[in-house]
Amino acid sequence: MALLMVSVNARGPRPTDMGASPQEMGGSGVVWYTTWGSAVAEAKRSQRPIFFMAAAAQCGGISGVF
Amino acid sequence: MVRKLMGGKFVNTAFCIFAPDGKKKLTRVGRSPAMGFGVRQSADPDPEEVKKVNARVIDAMYGIAKKYPPQANLAEAVVVDFHSFEQALNVSSGDQRLLVFAVATEQQHATLKRKMQKVANHPDVIGRYHFDFSSSTDVRWSEVVDGDQAKSGIFIIQSDEFGQKGKVLAELSLNSAADSIRAVLAVENKKYAASETRKHYGKHVAKGRRTGVKYEDAMPWGEDRDGDGKIDPRRQRRRR
Repeated sequence: MALLMVSVNARGPRPTDMGASPQEMGGSGVVWYTTWGSAVAEAKRSQRPIFFMAAAAQCGGISGVF
Repeated sequence: MVRKLMGGKFVNTAFCIFAPDGKKKLTRVGRSPAMGFGVRQSADPDPEEVKKVNARVIDAMYGIAKKYPPQANLAEAVVVDFHSFEQALNVSSGDQRLLVFAVATEQQHATLKRKMQKVANHPDVIGRYHFDFSSSTDVRWSEVVDGDQAKSGIFIIQSDEFGQKGKVLAELSLNSAADSIRAVLAVENKKYAASETRKHYGKHVAKGRRTGVKYEDAMPWGEDRDGDGKIDPRRQRRRR
């Protein structure tokens, strides 16, 4: 399944409730497409469905975090 | 797109699975995969309930995936590209991955993207880095990046803590062979992994507030839960 997460700017969960990712630094993680156009291009090419997930790479204007 | 999916509302998270045409919805639209698949869960689920809900969601996803077996060579998958260098830098910081940024003319992009498929889709590389290709909006990219920079090339960049600046760790020619690029990436990623620890979400946000970090781009941040087209005012914190 091709994965698309669209980066949006919106209010998220309470930051105090969230910790650190358990994923190993430098290790392989989710491969996601950051634009709808590229995700659809890959989905059409490979005939895989699209897992659409909107998320924000900031919290209340504080950048550098999901 | 989020507004369209969520009936005019603009919310923090939205989920849906689409058919490969990008049009037909294969699930309902919800704020989480569980909602999209119609899997109910309580407002404050215990770990056992979360486990069961996740298992049902995964089963449902397998069910869809079985109906759509891949029809093409995954080694030739489209290489990720961002809308802008600023977005790439911020997302790379959020994911804590190195960014591979290719600066080339628009005419060189098609050839370069084909070559980068051999890099980005390689088992040693996939899911470890982000990739971005310069566009006409990225002419000032070098102003937010430290280190030597040529006018064109493949730059391996480490984004800073808040994703607003970066540092060039290595620079390769556009003519570099795919295996040479992969070799340099492996070296830089090993050093990067050894020097970094995973960010703690709460501490990161608290530090950002203390130090006055303010990230803005074309879209305002916040939610429009009533769907009136305007971002809702922030709720005031109660004084204790």
